Amino acid sequence: MTVAAVVAVGIFVVAYVLIASEKVNRTAVALAGAAGMVLIGAVRGRDVFFSEDTGIDWNVIFLLLGMMIIVGILRRTGVFEFVAIWAAQRARARPFRMMTLLVVITAGASALLDNVTTVLLVAPVTLLLCERLALAPVPFLLAEAMASNIGGTATLIGDPPNIIIGSRAGLTFDDFLVHLAPVVVVLVAVFVGLAWVLWGRHLRYDPERAESVMALTPRETITDPTLLRRMLVILGLVLVGFLTHNWTHLDPSLVALLGAGAAVLASRMPSEEYLAEVEWETLLFFAGLFVMVGALVHDGVITVLARELTGAIGEDYLLAAQGILLGSGILSGIVDNIPYVATMAPLVHDLVGPGNGLPPERQSLWWALALGADLGGNATAIGASANVVITGIARRNEHPISFWTFTRYGLVVTAVTIGLCVPYVWLRYFGVG
Amino acid sequence: MHAQELLEQVPTVGRATTGAEAARVLAEYRLAALLVVDDDGDPLAVVPGSQLLGIVLPRWVRDDRRLAHVYDEKGADEMCGRLNRSTIGELLDESRLTPDDTPSVLPEDTLLEIASAMDEHHSPMLVVRDRDGVFHGVITMSRVVAAIAAAAGQDSDLIRRRLEKDIILRGTPEQSGPTREAP
Repeated sequence: MTVAAVVAVGIFVVAYVLIASEKVNRTAVALAGAAGMVLIGAVRGRDVFFSEDTGIDWNVIFLLLGMMIIVGILRRTGVFEFVAIWAAQRARARPFRMMTLLVVITAGASALLDNVTTVLLVAPVTLLLCERLALAPVPFLLAEAMASNIGGTATLIGDPPNIIIGSRAGLTFDDFLVHLAPVVVVLVAVFVGLAWVLWGRHLRYDPERAESVMALTPRETITDPTLLRRMLVILGLVLVGFLTHNWTHLDPSLVALLGAGAAVLASRMPSEEYLAEVEWETLLFFAGLFVMVGALVHDGVITVLARELTGAIGEDYLLAAQGILLGSGILSGIVDNIPYVATMAPLVHDLVGPGNGLPPERQSLWWALALGADLGGNATAIGASANVVITGIARRNEHPISFWTFTRYGLVVTAVTIGLCVPYVWLRYFGVG
Repeated sequence: MHAQELLEQVPTVGRATTGAEAARVLAEYRLAALLVVDDDGDPLAVVPGSQLLGIVLPRWVRDDRRLAHVYDEKGADEMCGRLNRSTIGELLDESRLTPDDTPSVLPEDTLLEIASAMDEHHSPMLVVRDRDGVFHGVITMSRVVAAIAAAAGQDSDLIRRRLEKDIILRGTPEQSGPTREAP
């Protein structure tokens, strides 16, 4: 390796440790790391903006931007609150039935929206329901955070790591649906069973308190029915746009931006309002990460690592896939899964090439990466952004969830879900035919 | 007109005062804000009435305002019972309000400086301290507005009465004399 490559690795490792420590703002670290890479010449200025392999992945940035605007406008309709309270009333406010429905709703919503938005919407309603029922909200909040991480695994847009994998591997929305959604459906069903064992069997039903939930008026949350109808149509069209990529050849980022434009027109919202819904810091964090990882690609560090790994695994893709699945599961519990996947994606790309059109056993590495990174996020309170948000909401509402409380349950859920993915990857990509 | 001429003595509350008691003081004296003092009577914070409403609202409603709509009348009334379970001290801690955040003016400040301070801090009540930090009293929005009206030639008996008598001396609508000690 060249001196520049060694310095680049040094900058990358320092930035990674700082991001993992969560002591310093992660966006500031990623941008400082990117600046360092530019200053040492590890990446060229032109590549930062215009190289697909070593620069900022604009597909990811604009897909996130478009979806943030769509979701930001959709959340103002109150539809999420309506569905959550409606579900609780359908469950006749019986605690475990309510938990099951909230888990299913959270997982389903997380497949279509980002996980943080989903838990931000469902957590306040959950606190309201639990207050009405005089139940401790912590089991519900834990179940929802974990359900959002599991549900988000199902689609291209469900979890930021999937967006990175989709863009770097050239995998479509349909590919994610075909390869990940089926196993996620099974995992959600298993998770409901786990939720019973971990929390549900301890919940007590009080018919008098249940009446206070039945007296709630969920329709009151829908403040603008016209906007709701328009937004549901737009969200439906966006999903159709994702699903028909093979025919339209419209990239997901363009579909999301078109949807965002339609949502802005439909809502007639002033620009300062819908732009306030965009998490600019997150987008800058991604941009900084892409430049840092791009520098490692540019300087040949990723190629060297891939060559070493290729030498180690040879043609044993089953071993490689299971290694990535389990390794990603463990590492994603310790470090944020976004920088982890941003780093691993070019490595897997060097190992097996772009995902589209690969033989199943080689493509399995991409799916193992997605499953491991997404599901591994459940392991600890800092493993995924949704966990951090839920623990923050719980603390503000005087129901603190300690790191170890989360981790105690998270490790069980992660072990079971990733444990189920091991035979899935084996049977689906290696066992049949 | 200077701040010392607009000084007013108002009923005060302490950290241990419950939300319900604080609400009663606000309502009885038609105050727009509460002066919170320590055991020595020194100001700890000025809490606008709108902020006191935060005690009634559960955190989840403050996080998602649409949830305020789903409660029926009974549920909403139950929520008001929260005022008896929360104290002003808890509100200050949650808002991270410290004595340093208390909006204040000097006794010699002019009407324009007082109006500017109220506008800057979005506070309907200001604490008056001299340069040594000694607390003299407070200035309320209603008295500042009365002074502005008088200065602008909109004089009347009610305006004069407002400028002459403290809130605490006017007492509650049911009372004619002072009801409690000023700080």
